[in-house]
Amino acid sequence: MTQVPGKGLVHGLGVTLRTMTTRSVTQEYPHVRPDLPPRSRGVIALLEENCTVCMLCARECPDWCIYIDSHKETVPAREEGARPRTRNVLDRFAIDYSLCMYCGICIEVCPFDALFWSPEFEYAEHDLGFMTHERDRLREWMPTVPAPPADVLNAEPAKEVPS
Amino acid sequence: MATGDLATADMVLNIGPQHPATHGVLRLALTLDGERIVRADPVIGYMHRGAEKLFEVRDYRQILVLTNRHDWLSSFGNELGVVLAVERMLGMEVPVRAVWLRTLLAELNRVLNHLMFLGSYPIELGAITPIFYAFREREEIQAVMEEISGGRMHYMFNRVGGLKEDMPAGWPDRARAAVRRVRVRVRDDIDALVRGNEIFRARTRGVGVLSRELAEAFGVSGPIARASGLDVDLRRDEPYLAYADLPADVLRVVTRTEGDCLARFECLLDQVYVSLDIAEHCLDVLDSLPVGPINVRLPKVVKAPEGETYAWTENPLGINGYYLVSRGEKTPWRLKLRTASFNNVQVLAELLPGELLADMVAILGSMFFVVGDVDK
Repeated sequence: MTQVPGKGLVHGLGVTLRTMTTRSVTQEYPHVRPDLPPRSRGVIALLEENCTVCMLCARECPDWCIYIDSHKETVPAREEGARPRTRNVLDRFAIDYSLCMYCGICIEVCPFDALFWSPEFEYAEHDLGFMTHERDRLREWMPTVPAPPADVLNAEPAKEVPS
Repeated sequence: MATGDLATADMVLNIGPQHPATHGVLRLALTLDGERIVRADPVIGYMHRGAEKLFEVRDYRQILVLTNRHDWLSSFGNELGVVLAVERMLGMEVPVRAVWLRTLLAELNRVLNHLMFLGSYPIELGAITPIFYAFREREEIQAVMEEISGGRMHYMFNRVGGLKEDMPAGWPDRARAAVRRVRVRVRDDIDALVRGNEIFRARTRGVGVLSRELAEAFGVSGPIARASGLDVDLRRDEPYLAYADLPADVLRVVTRTEGDCLARFECLLDQVYVSLDIAEHCLDVLDSLPVGPINVRLPKVVKAPEGETYAWTENPLGINGYYLVSRGEKTPWRLKLRTASFNNVQVLAELLPGELLADMVAILGSMFFVVGDVDK
Protein backbone atom coordinates (compact mmCIF):
# COMPACT_ATOMS: atom_id res chain seq x y z
CA MET A 1 0.00 0.00 0.00
CA THR A 2 1.53 3.29 -1.04
CA GLN A 3 0.30 6.24 0.92
CA VAL A 4 1.57 9.41 2.44
CA PRO A 5 3.58 8.53 5.57
CA GLY A 6 1.68 9.38 8.69
CA LYS A 7 -1.66 9.54 6.93
CA GLY A 8 -3.09 6.81 9.14
CA LEU A 9 -1.96 8.62 12.26
CA VAL A 10 -3.46 11.91 11.16
CA HIS A 11 -6.65 10.11 10.28
CA GLY A 12 -6.72 8.60 13.77
CA LEU A 13 -6.23 12.00 15.34
CA GLY A 14 -9.17 13.17 13.28
CA VAL A 15 -11.31 10.48 14.89
CA THR A 16 -10.18 11.62 18.32
CA LEU A 17 -10.95 15.22 17.49
CA ARG A 18 -14.41 14.33 16.22
CA THR A 19 -15.16 12.23 19.29
CA MET A 20 -14.01 15.05 21.56
CA THR A 21 -16.82 17.21 20.31
CA THR A 22 -19.54 14.59 20.83
CA ARG A 23 -21.41 14.09 24.06
CA SER A 24 -19.87 11.90 26.70
CA VAL A 25 -21.40 8.43 27.10
CA THR A 26 -20.24 7.96 30.68
CA GLN A 27 -22.99 7.61 33.25
CA GLU A 28 -22.09 9.22 36.57
CA TYR A 29 -23.28 6.12 38.38
CA PRO A 30 -23.77 6.91 42.06
CA HIS A 31 -25.40 10.20 41.13
CA VAL A 32 -27.26 8.96 38.07
CA ARG A 33 -29.06 5.66 38.59
CA PRO A 34 -28.86 3.31 35.63
CA ASP A 35 -32.15 2.66 33.89
CA LEU A 36 -32.36 -1.11 33.93
CA PRO A 37 -34.81 -3.15 31.85
CA PRO A 38 -37.45 -5.14 33.76
CA ARG A 39 -35.91 -8.49 32.78
CA SER A 40 -32.58 -7.52 34.31
CA ARG A 41 -31.31 -10.20 36.64
CA GLY A 42 -30.15 -8.23 39.66
CA VAL A 43 -31.38 -10.00 42.75
CA ILE A 44 -33.91 -12.66 43.64
CA ALA A 45 -36.82 -11.50 45.75
CA LEU A 46 -39.01 -13.79 47.82
CA LEU A 47 -42.73 -13.52 48.27
CA GLU A 48 -42.89 -15.59 51.41
CA GLU A 49 -46.67 -15.91 51.46
CA ASN A 50 -46.58 -17.94 48.27
CA CYS A 51 -43.89 -20.37 49.41
CA THR A 52 -45.14 -23.84 50.28
CA VAL A 53 -41.69 -25.23 51.17
CA CYS A 54 -41.78 -27.64 48.25
CA MET A 55 -37.98 -27.38 48.02
CA LEU A 56 -37.96 -27.43 44.21
CA CYS A 57 -35.83 -24.29 43.99
CA ALA A 58 -33.27 -25.62 46.46
CA ARG A 59 -33.07 -28.92 44.58
CA GLU A 60 -32.84 -27.45 41.10
CA CYS A 61 -30.26 -24.82 41.98
CA PRO A 62 -27.06 -25.74 40.11
CA ASP A 63 -24.85 -24.84 43.06
CA TRP A 64 -27.24 -25.42 45.94
CA CYS A 65 -27.09 -21.93 47.35
CA ILE A 66 -30.67 -21.84 48.64
CA TYR A 67 -31.14 -22.88 52.24
CA ILE A 68 -34.61 -23.81 53.43
CA ASP A 69 -35.65 -25.01 56.88
CA SER A 70 -39.19 -25.81 57.79
CA HIS A 71 -41.31 -27.70 60.25
CA LYS A 72 -44.72 -29.30 60.09
CA GLU A 73 -47.66 -27.92 61.96
CA THR A 74 -50.95 -29.61 62.57
CA VAL A 75 -54.00 -27.60 61.68
CA PRO A 76 -56.97 -28.78 63.71
CA ALA A 77 -59.96 -30.06 61.78
CA ARG A 78 -62.18 -27.30 60.46
CA GLU A 79 -65.41 -29.17 60.90
CA GLU A 80 -66.76 -32.07 62.90
CA GLY A 81 -65.49 -35.46 61.79
CA ALA A 82 -62.75 -34.16 59.50
CA ARG A 83 -59.14 -35.11 59.96
CA PRO A 84 -56.63 -32.58 61.23
CA ARG A 85 -54.29 -31.45 58.44
CA THR A 86 -50.59 -30.86 58.53
CA ARG A 87 -48.89 -28.08 56.67
CA ASN A 88 -45.34 -26.92 56.15
CA VAL A 89 -44.22 -23.77 57.84
CA LEU A 90 -41.18 -21.93 56.57
CA ASP A 91 -38.52 -21.38 59.24
CA ARG A 92 -35.67 -20.20 57.12
CA PHE A 93 -35.27 -19.19 53.51
CA ALA A 94 -31.85 -17.87 52.59
CA ILE A 95 -29.94 -17.38 49.37
CA ASP A 96 -26.17 -17.28 49.44
CA TYR A 97 -25.39 -14.66 46.81
CA SER A 98 -21.70 -15.39 47.03
CA LEU A 99 -22.47 -18.72 45.36
CA CYS A 100 -25.47 -17.75 43.22
CA MET A 101 -24.79 -17.86 39.48
CA TYR A 102 -27.84 -15.74 38.62
CA CYS A 103 -29.24 -18.35 36.24
CA GLY A 104 -32.83 -17.95 37.37
CA ILE A 105 -33.65 -21.66 37.44
CA CYS A 106 -35.15 -21.34 40.94
CA ILE A 107 -37.53 -18.66 39.71
CA GLU A 108 -38.45 -20.74 36.70
CA VAL A 109 -39.20 -23.93 38.62
CA CYS A 110 -41.16 -22.29 41.43
CA PRO A 111 -44.69 -23.61 40.91
CA PHE A 112 -46.31 -21.04 43.22
CA ASP A 113 -44.66 -17.82 42.04
CA ALA A 114 -42.82 -17.13 45.24
CA LEU A 115 -39.54 -16.03 43.63
CA PHE A 116 -39.00 -13.07 41.33
CA TRP A 117 -36.17 -11.29 39.59
CA SER A 118 -35.54 -7.71 40.54
CA PRO A 119 -33.08 -5.40 38.75
CA GLU A 120 -31.87 -4.18 42.15
CA PHE A 121 -28.10 -4.65 42.37
CA GLU A 122 -26.76 -2.56 45.22
CA TYR A 123 -26.17 -5.20 47.88
CA ALA A 124 -22.42 -5.57 47.82
CA GLU A 125 -20.76 -6.50 51.10
CA HIS A 126 -17.24 -6.34 52.46
CA ASP A 127 -17.22 -10.00 53.37
CA LEU A 128 -18.44 -13.06 51.47
CA GLY A 129 -20.01 -14.34 54.66
CA PHE A 130 -22.45 -11.44 54.67
CA MET A 131 -23.72 -12.33 51.21
CA THR A 132 -26.19 -14.88 52.57
CA HIS A 133 -29.46 -13.04 52.74
CA GLU A 134 -32.29 -14.29 54.90
CA ARG A 135 -35.98 -14.21 54.11
CA ASP A 136 -36.73 -10.82 55.61
CA ARG A 137 -34.08 -9.24 53.39
CA LEU A 138 -35.34 -11.18 50.36
CA ARG A 139 -38.86 -9.98 51.17
CA GLU A 140 -37.67 -6.37 51.21
CA TRP A 141 -36.75 -6.64 47.56
CA MET A 142 -40.29 -7.53 46.54
CA PRO A 143 -41.41 -3.91 45.97
CA THR A 144 -38.55 -3.47 43.50
CA VAL A 145 -39.83 -6.27 41.25
CA PRO A 146 -41.08 -4.69 38.02
CA ALA A 147 -44.06 -5.88 36.03
CA PRO A 148 -43.03 -8.10 33.11
CA PRO A 149 -42.72 -6.15 29.87
CA ALA A 150 -45.27 -6.63 27.12
CA ASP A 151 -44.14 -8.88 24.27
CA VAL A 152 -43.93 -7.97 20.60
CA LEU A 153 -47.17 -8.22 18.68
CA ASN A 154 -46.40 -11.46 16.86
CA ALA A 155 -45.38 -13.27 20.01
CA GLU A 156 -47.68 -15.97 21.28
CA PRO A 157 -49.92 -14.50 24.01
CA ALA A 158 -48.94 -15.53 27.50
CA LYS A 159 -50.93 -18.43 28.96
CA GLU A 160 -51.22 -16.86 32.37
CA VAL A 161 -51.74 -13.16 32.67
CA PRO A 162 -50.60 -11.66 35.98
CA SER A 163 -53.48 -9.99 37.77
CA MET B 1 22.87 -18.69 17.07
CA ALA B 2 25.52 -16.45 18.52
CA THR B 3 28.85 -15.93 16.81
CA GLY B 4 30.60 -18.76 18.60
CA ASP B 5 33.33 -16.94 20.45
CA LEU B 6 31.00 -16.11 23.26
CA ALA B 7 29.43 -18.92 25.21
CA THR B 8 25.68 -18.37 25.24
CA ALA B 9 23.07 -20.13 27.21
CA ASP B 10 19.41 -20.35 26.45
CA MET B 11 17.22 -18.58 28.88
CA VAL B 12 13.84 -19.84 29.95
CA LEU B 13 11.38 -17.04 30.40
CA ASN B 14 8.00 -17.61 31.93
CA ILE B 15 5.24 -15.43 30.61
CA GLY B 16 2.39 -15.80 33.02
CA PRO B 17 0.40 -17.39 34.52
CA GLN B 18 -0.14 -13.95 36.02
CA HIS B 19 0.92 -11.63 33.25
CA PRO B 20 -0.99 -8.75 31.74
CA ALA B 21 -0.18 -9.82 28.20
CA THR B 22 -1.85 -13.21 28.43
CA HIS B 23 -5.30 -11.91 29.34
CA GLY B 24 -6.00 -14.69 31.77
CA VAL B 25 -3.95 -17.39 33.35
CA LEU B 26 -2.22 -18.85 30.33
CA ARG B 27 1.45 -19.56 30.94
CA LEU B 28 4.00 -19.55 28.17
CA ALA B 29 7.36 -21.13 28.91
CA LEU B 30 9.62 -19.52 26.35
CA THR B 31 13.17 -20.57 25.67
CA LEU B 32 15.11 -17.60 24.41
CA ASP B 33 18.32 -17.30 22.51
CA GLY B 34 19.00 -13.63 22.97
CA GLU B 35 15.93 -11.84 21.63
CA ARG B 36 14.76 -14.76 19.59
CA ILE B 37 12.34 -17.42 20.74
CA VAL B 38 13.62 -20.93 20.11
CA ARG B 39 10.94 -22.85 21.89
CA ALA B 40 7.52 -22.01 23.23
CA ASP B 41 5.36 -24.20 25.42
CA PRO B 42 1.89 -23.04 26.24
CA VAL B 43 1.19 -24.38 29.72
CA ILE B 44 -2.52 -24.56 30.25
CA GLY B 45 -4.84 -25.69 32.97
CA TYR B 46 -4.50 -22.95 35.58
CA MET B 47 -8.18 -22.26 35.22
CA HIS B 48 -9.39 -25.82 34.78
CA ARG B 49 -12.77 -26.08 36.41
CA GLY B 50 -13.66 -29.57 35.28
CA ALA B 51 -16.55 -28.34 33.19
CA GLU B 52 -17.00 -31.67 31.42
CA LYS B 53 -17.21 -33.56 34.71
CA LEU B 54 -19.62 -31.01 36.13
CA PHE B 55 -21.85 -31.48 33.08
CA GLU B 56 -22.30 -35.12 34.03
CA VAL B 57 -24.03 -34.34 37.30
CA ARG B 58 -26.33 -31.65 36.02
CA ASP B 59 -29.51 -31.77 34.01
CA TYR B 60 -29.68 -30.05 30.65
CA ARG B 61 -30.99 -26.76 31.95
CA GLN B 62 -28.29 -26.61 34.60
CA ILE B 63 -25.66 -27.42 31.99
CA LEU B 64 -26.60 -24.23 30.18
CA VAL B 65 -25.49 -22.29 33.25
CA LEU B 66 -22.05 -23.84 32.97
CA THR B 67 -21.71 -23.58 29.19
CA ASN B 68 -22.41 -19.89 29.56
CA ARG B 69 -19.21 -19.65 31.50
CA HIS B 70 -16.44 -21.65 29.84
CA ASP B 71 -16.07 -19.04 27.12
CA TRP B 72 -17.55 -16.00 28.78
CA LEU B 73 -17.35 -13.88 25.67
CA SER B 74 -19.50 -16.18 23.54
CA SER B 75 -22.08 -17.33 26.06
CA PHE B 76 -24.93 -17.44 23.60
CA GLY B 77 -23.03 -19.56 21.10
CA ASN B 78 -22.11 -22.00 23.84
CA GLU B 79 -25.67 -22.41 25.05
CA LEU B 80 -26.67 -22.99 21.48
CA GLY B 81 -24.38 -26.01 21.03
CA VAL B 82 -25.88 -27.83 23.98
CA VAL B 83 -29.50 -27.15 23.16
CA LEU B 84 -28.95 -28.12 19.53
CA ALA B 85 -27.44 -31.42 20.63
CA VAL B 86 -30.27 -32.20 23.03
CA GLU B 87 -32.94 -31.14 20.55
CA ARG B 88 -31.41 -33.38 17.91
CA MET B 89 -31.39 -36.32 20.33
CA LEU B 90 -35.02 -35.70 21.21
CA GLY B 91 -35.97 -35.14 17.56
CA MET B 92 -37.55 -31.90 18.65
CA GLU B 93 -38.89 -29.35 16.21
CA VAL B 94 -37.98 -25.83 17.30
CA PRO B 95 -40.51 -23.07 16.50
CA VAL B 96 -39.48 -20.89 13.59
CA ARG B 97 -39.53 -17.72 15.68
CA ALA B 98 -37.05 -19.25 18.09
CA VAL B 99 -34.78 -20.29 15.22
CA TRP B 100 -34.57 -16.77 13.83
CA LEU B 101 -34.28 -15.11 17.21
CA ARG B 102 -31.47 -17.49 18.13
CA THR B 103 -29.67 -16.63 14.91
CA LEU B 104 -30.07 -12.95 15.65
CA LEU B 105 -28.79 -13.22 19.20
CA ALA B 106 -25.91 -15.47 18.17
CA GLU B 107 -24.77 -12.80 15.73
CA LEU B 108 -25.14 -10.00 18.27
CA ASN B 109 -23.08 -12.11 20.63
CA ARG B 110 -20.47 -12.52 17.90
CA VAL B 111 -20.27 -8.75 17.51
CA LEU B 112 -19.85 -8.37 21.27
CA ASN B 113 -17.06 -10.92 21.29
CA HIS B 114 -15.25 -9.42 18.34
CA LEU B 115 -15.52 -5.90 19.73
CA MET B 116 -13.79 -7.08 22.86
CA PHE B 117 -10.81 -8.30 20.88
CA LEU B 118 -10.86 -5.33 18.52
CA GLY B 119 -10.39 -3.20 21.60
CA SER B 120 -7.99 -5.36 23.56
CA TYR B 121 -5.63 -6.27 20.74
CA PRO B 122 -4.50 -2.69 20.05
CA ILE B 123 -3.97 -2.32 23.83
CA GLU B 124 -1.47 -5.15 23.69
CA LEU B 125 0.33 -3.25 20.95
CA GLY B 126 0.37 -0.08 22.98
CA ALA B 127 -2.68 1.71 21.61
CA ILE B 128 -4.98 2.52 24.48
CA THR B 129 -7.68 4.49 22.70
CA PRO B 130 -9.52 1.82 20.65
CA ILE B 131 -10.74 -0.08 23.70
CA PHE B 132 -12.84 2.90 24.77
CA TYR B 133 -14.54 2.96 21.41
CA ALA B 134 -14.95 -0.81 21.46
CA PHE B 135 -16.51 -0.74 24.90
CA ARG B 136 -18.86 2.05 23.95
CA GLU B 137 -20.18 -0.16 21.15
CA ARG B 138 -20.26 -3.19 23.41
CA GLU B 139 -22.39 -1.23 25.85
CA GLU B 140 -24.81 -0.44 23.05
CA ILE B 141 -25.34 -4.11 22.20
CA GLN B 142 -25.14 -5.31 25.78
CA ALA B 143 -28.05 -3.03 26.62
CA VAL B 144 -30.06 -4.72 23.87
CA MET B 145 -29.06 -8.18 25.09
CA GLU B 146 -29.87 -7.28 28.66
CA GLU B 147 -33.30 -6.06 27.74
CA ILE B 148 -34.24 -9.33 26.07
CA SER B 149 -32.43 -11.86 28.24
CA GLY B 150 -31.78 -10.07 31.52
CA GLY B 151 -28.06 -10.76 31.39
CA ARG B 152 -25.18 -8.79 30.01
CA MET B 153 -22.69 -11.64 29.68
CA HIS B 154 -24.30 -14.85 30.87
CA TYR B 155 -27.56 -14.72 29.00
CA MET B 156 -29.08 -18.02 30.12
CA PHE B 157 -31.69 -17.45 27.45
CA ASN B 158 -31.70 -20.71 25.51
CA ARG B 159 -33.89 -23.55 26.58
CA VAL B 160 -34.22 -26.99 25.11
CA GLY B 161 -36.88 -26.44 22.45
CA GLY B 162 -36.50 -22.71 22.02
CA LEU B 163 -35.84 -19.61 24.04
CA LYS B 164 -36.92 -18.54 27.49
CA GLU B 165 -39.11 -15.65 26.45
CA ASP B 166 -40.14 -13.74 23.38
CA MET B 167 -38.92 -10.25 22.54
CA PRO B 168 -40.33 -7.41 24.64
CA ALA B 169 -42.44 -4.90 22.73
CA GLY B 170 -40.30 -2.28 21.06
CA TRP B 171 -37.15 -4.37 21.37
CA PRO B 172 -36.75 -5.08 17.63
CA ASP B 173 -36.65 -1.35 16.91
CA ARG B 174 -34.16 -0.68 19.66
CA ALA B 175 -32.02 -3.58 18.45
CA ARG B 176 -32.15 -2.30 14.89
CA ALA B 177 -31.16 1.18 16.00
CA ALA B 178 -28.29 -0.24 18.04
CA VAL B 179 -27.07 -2.31 15.09
CA ARG B 180 -27.15 0.75 12.88
CA ARG B 181 -25.31 2.94 15.35
CA VAL B 182 -22.68 0.29 15.98
CA ARG B 183 -22.10 -0.26 12.27
CA VAL B 184 -21.52 3.42 11.62
CA ARG B 185 -19.29 3.91 14.62
CA VAL B 186 -17.22 0.76 14.09
CA ARG B 187 -16.56 2.01 10.58
CA ASP B 188 -15.89 5.63 11.49
CA ASP B 189 -14.06 5.11 14.74
CA ILE B 190 -12.46 1.72 15.34
CA ASP B 191 -11.86 0.93 11.69
CA ALA B 192 -10.60 4.42 10.88
CA LEU B 193 -8.45 4.52 13.96
CA VAL B 194 -6.74 1.16 13.72
CA ARG B 195 -6.81 -0.34 10.25
CA GLY B 196 -4.77 2.32 8.49
CA ASN B 197 -2.54 3.16 11.42
CA GLU B 198 1.11 2.90 10.40
CA ILE B 199 2.34 1.83 13.83
CA PHE B 200 -0.30 -0.85 14.08
CA ARG B 201 0.51 -2.14 10.61
CA ALA B 202 4.23 -2.14 11.30
CA ARG B 203 3.70 -4.21 14.43
CA THR B 204 1.40 -6.75 12.80
CA ARG B 205 2.10 -7.10 9.09
CA GLY B 206 4.12 -10.19 8.27
CA VAL B 207 4.37 -11.04 11.96
CA GLY B 208 3.44 -14.51 13.17
CA VAL B 209 2.48 -15.95 9.83
CA LEU B 210 0.31 -19.02 10.31
CA SER B 211 0.33 -21.18 7.23
CA ARG B 212 -2.79 -22.86 5.99
CA GLU B 213 -1.21 -26.29 6.49
CA LEU B 214 -0.31 -25.54 10.09
CA ALA B 215 -3.78 -24.24 10.76
CA GLU B 216 -5.23 -27.45 9.34
CA ALA B 217 -2.83 -29.66 11.26
CA PHE B 218 -3.67 -28.06 14.59
CA GLY B 219 -7.40 -27.87 14.03
CA VAL B 220 -7.32 -24.09 14.16
CA SER B 221 -10.73 -22.66 13.33
CA GLY B 222 -12.70 -19.48 13.23
CA PRO B 223 -11.39 -16.09 12.13
CA ILE B 224 -7.80 -17.16 12.79
CA ALA B 225 -8.02 -20.06 10.36
CA ARG B 226 -9.87 -17.97 7.82
CA ALA B 227 -7.10 -15.36 7.99
CA SER B 228 -4.75 -18.11 6.83
CA GLY B 229 -6.93 -18.94 3.86
CA LEU B 230 -8.66 -21.91 5.46
CA ASP B 231 -12.12 -21.17 4.13
CA VAL B 232 -14.23 -23.00 6.68
CA ASP B 233 -17.30 -21.49 8.24
CA LEU B 234 -19.92 -23.82 9.67
CA ARG B 235 -22.58 -21.19 9.20
CA ARG B 236 -22.19 -21.69 5.47
CA ASP B 237 -20.69 -25.18 5.25
CA GLU B 238 -22.94 -27.01 7.67
CA PRO B 239 -25.75 -24.58 8.33
CA TYR B 240 -27.60 -24.78 11.61
CA LEU B 241 -30.36 -22.48 12.87
CA ALA B 242 -31.52 -20.18 10.07
CA TYR B 243 -28.15 -19.74 8.41
CA ALA B 244 -29.20 -21.86 5.45
CA ASP B 245 -32.00 -19.40 4.71
CA LEU B 246 -29.75 -16.36 4.65
CA PRO B 247 -29.00 -14.92 1.21
CA ALA B 248 -25.39 -15.30 0.12
CA ASP B 249 -24.83 -11.54 0.08
CA VAL B 250 -25.77 -11.36 3.76
CA LEU B 251 -23.81 -14.35 5.00
CA ARG B 252 -20.40 -13.49 3.57
CA VAL B 253 -17.44 -15.49 4.79
CA VAL B 254 -14.49 -13.20 5.44
CA THR B 255 -11.17 -14.71 4.49
CA ARG B 256 -7.60 -13.56 4.07
CA THR B 257 -4.61 -15.43 2.73
CA GLU B 258 -1.71 -13.69 4.46
CA GLY B 259 -2.10 -15.49 7.78
CA ASP B 260 -0.30 -12.77 9.74
CA CYS B 261 -1.50 -10.83 12.75
CA LEU B 262 -2.90 -8.06 10.58
CA ALA B 263 -4.94 -10.52 8.53
CA ARG B 264 -6.36 -12.04 11.70
CA PHE B 265 -7.32 -8.62 13.01
CA GLU B 266 -8.88 -7.57 9.72
CA CYS B 267 -10.86 -10.82 9.55
CA LEU B 268 -12.31 -10.00 12.94
CA LEU B 269 -13.09 -6.44 11.97
CA ASP B 270 -14.77 -7.38 8.70
CA GLN B 271 -16.75 -10.12 10.40
CA VAL B 272 -18.35 -7.50 12.63
CA TYR B 273 -19.94 -5.91 9.56
CA VAL B 274 -21.13 -9.28 8.29
CA SER B 275 -22.65 -10.14 11.67
CA LEU B 276 -24.41 -6.79 11.86
CA ASP B 277 -25.86 -7.39 8.39
CA ILE B 278 -27.07 -10.84 9.42
CA ALA B 279 -28.57 -9.38 12.60
CA GLU B 280 -30.47 -6.77 10.59
CA HIS B 281 -31.72 -9.42 8.17
CA CYS B 282 -32.92 -11.58 11.08
CA LEU B 283 -34.76 -8.60 12.56
CA ASP B 284 -36.57 -8.06 9.27
CA VAL B 285 -37.53 -11.73 9.07
CA LEU B 286 -38.70 -11.75 12.70
CA ASP B 287 -40.99 -8.80 12.00
CA SER B 288 -42.65 -10.67 9.17
CA LEU B 289 -43.18 -13.99 10.97
CA PRO B 290 -46.72 -14.92 11.96
CA VAL B 291 -47.85 -15.19 15.55
CA GLY B 292 -46.32 -18.27 17.06
CA PRO B 293 -44.64 -19.81 20.07
CA ILE B 294 -41.03 -19.18 21.03
CA ASN B 295 -40.46 -22.51 22.76
CA VAL B 296 -41.81 -26.00 23.10
CA ARG B 297 -43.64 -27.09 26.22
CA LEU B 298 -41.30 -29.49 27.93
CA PRO B 299 -41.99 -32.41 30.24
CA LYS B 300 -41.04 -31.87 33.88
CA VAL B 301 -37.84 -33.85 33.40
CA VAL B 302 -36.02 -33.60 30.10
CA LYS B 303 -34.26 -36.86 29.30
CA ALA B 304 -32.26 -37.27 26.13
CA PRO B 305 -32.85 -40.76 24.73
CA GLU B 306 -30.04 -43.27 24.74
CA GLY B 307 -27.55 -42.52 22.03
CA GLU B 308 -24.96 -40.01 21.01
CA THR B 309 -24.64 -36.95 18.85
CA TYR B 310 -22.12 -34.28 18.04
CA ALA B 311 -23.32 -30.73 17.63
CA TRP B 312 -20.87 -28.12 16.51
CA THR B 313 -21.41 -24.48 15.91
CA GLU B 314 -19.39 -21.61 14.51
CA ASN B 315 -18.71 -19.73 17.70
CA PRO B 316 -17.18 -16.27 17.50
CA LEU B 317 -13.73 -17.69 18.18
CA GLY B 318 -14.04 -20.82 16.07
CA ILE B 319 -15.62 -24.23 16.06
CA ASN B 320 -17.27 -25.14 19.33
CA GLY B 321 -18.52 -28.69 19.61
CA TYR B 322 -20.41 -30.78 22.12
CA TYR B 323 -20.28 -34.56 21.91
CA LEU B 324 -23.26 -35.72 23.88
CA VAL B 325 -23.56 -39.33 25.01
CA SER B 326 -26.73 -40.13 26.85
CA ARG B 327 -27.86 -43.28 28.61
CA GLY B 328 -31.41 -42.02 28.75
CA GLU B 329 -31.05 -40.27 32.07
CA LYS B 330 -31.73 -36.68 32.89
CA THR B 331 -28.02 -35.96 33.01
CA PRO B 332 -25.67 -36.73 30.12
CA TRP B 333 -23.43 -39.72 30.53
CA ARG B 334 -20.66 -37.77 28.91
CA LEU B 335 -20.56 -34.34 27.35
CA LYS B 336 -17.28 -33.79 25.60
CA LEU B 337 -16.45 -30.21 24.93
CA ARG B 338 -14.40 -29.13 21.94
CA THR B 339 -13.48 -25.52 22.30
CA ALA B 340 -12.03 -23.21 19.71
CA SER B 341 -9.53 -21.48 21.96
CA PHE B 342 -7.93 -24.76 23.02
CA ASN B 343 -6.81 -25.62 19.50
CA ASN B 344 -6.02 -22.04 18.61
CA VAL B 345 -3.64 -21.72 21.53
CA GLN B 346 -1.83 -25.00 20.87
CA VAL B 347 -0.53 -23.68 17.56
CA LEU B 348 1.54 -21.11 19.48
CA ALA B 349 4.15 -23.81 20.07
CA GLU B 350 4.78 -23.82 16.32
CA LEU B 351 4.10 -20.19 15.63
CA LEU B 352 6.34 -18.52 18.18
CA PRO B 353 9.75 -20.21 17.61
CA GLY B 354 11.87 -18.03 15.36
CA GLU B 355 10.02 -14.87 16.24
CA LEU B 356 11.38 -12.02 18.32
CA LEU B 357 10.36 -11.70 21.92
CA ALA B 358 9.00 -8.24 21.20
CA ASP B 359 6.56 -9.75 18.72
CA MET B 360 5.39 -12.39 21.15
CA VAL B 361 2.61 -10.24 22.59
CA ALA B 362 1.45 -9.26 19.12
CA ILE B 363 1.18 -12.91 18.08
CA LEU B 364 -0.32 -14.10 21.35
CA GLY B 365 -2.94 -11.38 21.29
CA SER B 366 -3.84 -12.09 17.68
CA MET B 367 -4.80 -15.69 18.48
CA PHE B 368 -7.97 -14.28 20.10
CA PHE B 369 -8.61 -16.76 22.85
CA VAL B 370 -10.41 -16.87 26.16
CA VAL B 371 -8.49 -18.74 28.83
CA GLY B 372 -11.67 -20.17 30.31
CA ASP B 373 -12.33 -21.68 26.90
CA VAL B 374 -8.82 -23.18 26.81
CA ASP B 375 -8.90 -24.70 30.29
CA LYS B 376 -12.60 -25.57 30.40
